[in-house]
Amino acid sequence: MKMTTKYWLFQALGWGAYTAVAFFFAVRAVGPRPDVIVGFALFFLYSIALTDLLRREIKRHHWLDEVSLGVVAKLFGIGAALAAFQTGLIVGISFLFVGYRSEYLTDPAMILETLWGITWLNGTWIGLYAAITRRRRQREKETRLELALREAELRALEAQINPHFLFNCLNSIRGLVTEDPKLAQDMITRFAALLRYNLHGDVGHTVPLSAEAEAVADYLALEQVRFDERLRVRFDIEPRAGAMQVPPMILQTLVENALKHGVGKLPEGGEIRIQASAEPDELVLNVENTGQLAGASAAGPQIGLNNIRERLRLIYGSRAGLQLKNTDGDRVAATVRIPAAVMA
Amino acid sequence: MRALIIDDERLARVELRRLLTQHPEIEIAGEARHAEEALKLARELSPDLLFLDIQLPGMTGFDLLERLEDIPQVIFTTAYDEYALKAFEVNALDYVMKPIAPERLAAALARVRPRATVTDHPAPRLQQVFVRDGERCWIVRLPDIYLLESEGNYARVYFRNERPLIRRSLNALEAQLDPAMFFRAGRNAILNLKWIERMDLAASGGIVATLRGGRSVEISRRQSARLRELLSL
Repeated sequence: MKMTTKYWLFQALGWGAYTAVAFFFAVRAVGPRPDVIVGFALFFLYSIALTDLLRREIKRHHWLDEVSLGVVAKLFGIGAALAAFQTGLIVGISFLFVGYRSEYLTDPAMILETLWGITWLNGTWIGLYAAITRRRRQREKETRLELALREAELRALEAQINPHFLFNCLNSIRGLVTEDPKLAQDMITRFAALLRYNLHGDVGHTVPLSAEAEAVADYLALEQVRFDERLRVRFDIEPRAGAMQVPPMILQTLVENALKHGVGKLPEGGEIRIQASAEPDELVLNVENTGQLAGASAAGPQIGLNNIRERLRLIYGSRAGLQLKNTDGDRVAATVRIPAAVMA
Repeated sequence: MRALIIDDERLARVELRRLLTQHPEIEIAGEARHAEEALKLARELSPDLLFLDIQLPGMTGFDLLERLEDIPQVIFTTAYDEYALKAFEVNALDYVMKPIAPERLAAALARVRPRATVTDHPAPRLQQVFVRDGERCWIVRLPDIYLLESEGNYARVYFRNERPLIRRSLNALEAQLDPAMFFRAGRNAILNLKWIERMDLAASGGIVATLRGGRSVEISRRQSARLRELLSL
């Protein structure tokens, strides 16, 4: 059912039920008098109209976006004011029909009773409206988060097996078969291990850094065969850091980036250095490569890095982060910080 | 036929060399690891055929072609560049995917046209040019070009239904064109004589040449006299 249809149904049922019960007791007390019939019918209609007006105001001023004590006080103040207005209408209509014989005038306590009852009614209306709206918004937010995660998963999946790497690698191995059969065998084994890690990968969870680093080592060994002496690699992972959990493919994406945009662009090649250290409350991953961020590539789309940023945000909120910057004049460093305590 | 292999991966070059042992008509004149080296070797060796990897460090294979004056036959070797290959007009090139299947290589080599001998010309003559226009690119054989127009330091190349710009001046191009095929119509245009369909006298005293496809080019008076002379021979 559509949101607005549901809202009007709730309005009609809520006010309808109250009006019906109150009308029943009024008729039992004084009989089906025209002022009672018209009074209750009109009450039903203007109560809906007035609360709908209130809903429009709530939406227009975004009162429910951030619920504070002030907002609550304001809403219930408005509820009480509306109740006073409704009570005034009830008394007025009664007076129009029966003049000074109206029960409200002969027994002024009835006015207070009515005001009190309607104030409660409006308060209930506001409470229900706020609760339903908040729940709906919460659900929308969850859906959005889930969608973002799916998208990140999909993109991570796409990034996993880079076809350019895959086919170049097969081509290199084909060349190695005659040149160095022993190395060719080794490369095929590493290739299989890397594929297995990639295909098995579930980007929604986390893996020990050591498992990720092993896959990256396989990947880099294969790239080293392709790049020959143009690619030098240094691993420096603290044992304690290796046991910590990371989202899969995070190191892999950083290293691929370092190769694609850094060392791969340099005719003379360069070095990639992977460091991981366990700080008291966080894991620090650092991937450095020879090269410099040019103005254009620094501001470029950075699809791989944005994907990492989004995944870090979804899993760790604002407590994790990725930074990319030039260091030392001839190096680029990508640094990821992941909180140690809570893991998704 | 003399070939130059351009690939940044040693093993890819080794593998291609090994595959080419089955094709004794191809003599491997040199190997280049990156575009700068390739430019140097291409100028030194003037090979008949390039085996060109598209992804090269520093410069792509396309950038390389753009910087070469004369484009020999080109066979692209690529691992996975569907996007880059789409930039090309179908049939405008040949490419083999790595790892290279021997049959596929044989088919590509069968399509390579032997180069016309240029030994009797003092200056090197262009065979084909590489043209890039935004996302699209072509290797255009000169007989397909019907008109070249000057646009500042660039020249507009007319062929089929395309008219992209090439980063060379009309004068630089003219020096490398076969005078039996291309004729300077005036300061701003060179036309292909083989494409002329009709010639009419213009009011100015020059000639208006109408090319196949309907485009007409006005030839200056001085050049008109030369053209008459040339055609009466």
